Amino acid sequence: MPTVTQDLDIWTLVVHASFVVKIVLAVLVAVSFMSWMFIFQKWFVLRRSLNQTLKFEREFWGGQDLNALYQGAVNHRHTIGSLERVFEAGYREFAKLRSQTGTHAADMVDGARRAMRATFQREMDFLERHLSFLASTGSVSPYVGLFGTVWGIMHAFRSLANVQQATLAQVAPGIAEALVATAIGLFAAIPAVVAYNRYSHDVDRLGNRFESFMEEFSNILHRQAVR
Amino acid sequence: MTAATLAYGVYGSRPRPAMGRAAALSALVHLALVGVLFLGVRFQNSPPATVTVELWDQPPPPPRVEEKPPAPPPKPAPEPEPEPQVKKPDIALKEKPKPKPKPKPEPKRDLAFEKQLREQAMLEQKRLDDARREREMRELIARQQAAARDKALRTWTDKIRDKIRGNIILPQDIPGNPEAIFDVTLLPSGEVLTVRKGKSSGHAGYDDAVERAIMKSSPLPLPDDRTLFQRRLELKFRPQDR
Repeated sequence: MPTVTQDLDIWTLVVHASFVVKIVLAVLVAVSFMSWMFIFQKWFVLRRSLNQTLKFEREFWGGQDLNALYQGAVNHRHTIGSLERVFEAGYREFAKLRSQTGTHAADMVDGARRAMRATFQREMDFLERHLSFLASTGSVSPYVGLFGTVWGIMHAFRSLANVQQATLAQVAPGIAEALVATAIGLFAAIPAVVAYNRYSHDVDRLGNRFESFMEEFSNILHRQAVR
Repeated sequence: MTAATLAYGVYGSRPRPAMGRAAALSALVHLALVGVLFLGVRFQNSPPATVTVELWDQPPPPPRVEEKPPAPPPKPAPEPEPEPQVKKPDIALKEKPKPKPKPKPEPKRDLAFEKQLREQAMLEQKRLDDARREREMRELIARQQAAARDKALRTWTDKIRDKIRGNIILPQDIPGNPEAIFDVTLLPSGEVLTVRKGKSSGHAGYDDAVERAIMKSSPLPLPDDRTLFQRRLELKFRPQDR
């Protein structure tokens, strides 16, 4: 006895979809893949950066000699965290200026500050990298999915024009096909938006930490320069 | 070039940490999504099918095997007492010693025979049981096949009636829900050859509407299983069954 029920699973929906809808689906899947990849990567990077920052702050305020800290930072240049890089750049500039004779204390501190500011910008850029991708994924992919859906529904209704008697059964599969595009768009967008908000908040907090460190370190350098 | 830029090399070429791990995790997330979609989303699309419920009697209980109580084993015949041996006289008399009386073989033969009988009866019974079971099985299968065929046929006629019903333009004033029966002759391609009114609904307008709808619906849908095709169909319509 032939079976009278036909299964409409996701695969048949995707296979029967029109060409444009297939392209939209492929784009969305690729975007979703990249967005998840950046979500995980940023998560690792930010967690690591926070740990490194905490560790360096402990070391710095633990009363270690600045020279020893600087040497340690130079020796592990490729593995140190952002805050340590800022410190390294500032202290290097300060040491250079101090070795020249006849530099004012205020100029030394200003030079160190500028060096730290430059490194700070670079580090912030590193931490914020790919965040804009998450932001645009979050805002654009629902529209892309919607476009696929609208296109699919247009197709579904066009097939309706050839029959005299319109039933729901003639459009329902087409509409279901089309809605898959919206579903995937939302699947790409929602995590991206959540991750973007979370990570930009984390990056802001790290930036604040770095900035306050720079101020405090400038004070220490000023004290050293005056002495 | 300052030492600070040396640390990263050229701007932007800083290694991207943990990208491979992130890509693997991302792939994992998408595999999970695909799995959920495939397993979780399954729409069912079935034409309106008639529900057939068959109430079957329980198969009759197997006839009780009349078990004869096993015949009590026959009592062994009392052994004849051995005759007291006569003391041999010193002088040997030419006399043969009497042979010892054998125990009668009869009871043993009797036992074996009984056993044989019982075995035979059991075999017979078993054969009967097997035959009966097989017969029941065959009946059951036949009944199931008939039911399946019946259901497929009904699904087909339902499909036909669905199509026709969509074409009926109902007159406004039909009292009640009268039934009209039409005999339709089909060509194997599904085209309608003749329509004959089998039983009028009592409302001429409705009868005409149904007849027009049948003609308009030609060709009618064919059954999924072509062997079910029948040239003559009896279709029943009621104005209010939708």
